[in-house]
Amino acid sequence: MSRHHNINGNIVPFTAAEEAARDTEEAAIITNAPATALATLRDKRNRLLSATDYLALSDNTLTTAMATYRTALRDLPNGKDTVAKCTNAVFPTKP
Amino acid sequence: MALVKLNNKAVSNATAFGSITALGSMTFIKKLTASASATLSFVDGTDGVVLDDTYKEYVFTFNNIHPATDQAKFTFNVSSDSGSNYNVTKTTTYFTTYHQEDDGSPILQYEATFDLAQSTAFQNLSANMGNNNDDNLCGELKIFNPSSTTFVKHFIANNNHVHQTSAPASVEPFAAGYCNTTSAVDAVRFQMSSGNIDAGDICLYGIA
Repeated sequence: MSRHHNINGNIVPFTAAEEAARDTEEAAIITNAPATALATLRDKRNRLLSATDYLALSDNTLTTAMATYRTALRDLPNGKDTVAKCTNAVFPTKP
Repeated sequence: MALVKLNNKAVSNATAFGSITALGSMTFIKKLTASASATLSFVDGTDGVVLDDTYKEYVFTFNNIHPATDQAKFTFNVSSDSGSNYNVTKTTTYFTTYHQEDDGSPILQYEATFDLAQSTAFQNLSANMGNNNDDNLCGELKIFNPSSTTFVKHFIANNNHVHQTSAPASVEPFAAGYCNTTSAVDAVRFQMSSGNIDAGDICLYGIA
């Protein structure tokens, strides 16, 4: 079935303008896929960093293992310029 | 009314029950089923759809909403011109809970990029969804007094869904806000932020 709206149960085909807009949108998704994958990677990285932020407060001394872990997290996005590299990135293990 | 005898095993000797009235009702109005659909729209006044002052509260239920595209967000907007334009101004809030399948990153946080401030854009109802065969979204959206020409129209939505394929997680967003218009809202549209709604049902109920 071609692109369509479902309005109250009635199938309404896309207009030519809507088809063109969707084509443009989907092309942009493909073009931006590496950046999107990197953003996803960064998002997960940021969540993991945030989970150990409290250990890096000034009134606490980071263990070497934890410092190494957090550095590895910060460095993880480096060089991830393709979707495959982002998808296959190996996150460090939390000590 | 007959006496009802209770013991530790059962209810017995109940030969008739009294009627309970004036407790209100939840009335089914319309069910739309997505099939590789770009949008699902409920428009008042045709095909049995009611979205006016018949009810003061309307509930949309989402069942097994499955996106065609990975990392697409489930969104909605409303219309005050019978579906000609879905661009009513909204101010909203959005926070979420999140927990990954690998037990990582449990969070509860406000999502400042998912809310709206006097915007006509579609409101996100989900994070980036996964499109694996078993990924989906279930939940509901409530809209209050859509036909009011005095007040703004409040809505409250929450659901649970599976996060995108690269980071599978249970995500429960809470989106709420108001359509900042005193014109009657008479149509509601749901769509993914990109790609189609591959499958799933949305049902509309009126609360009396």
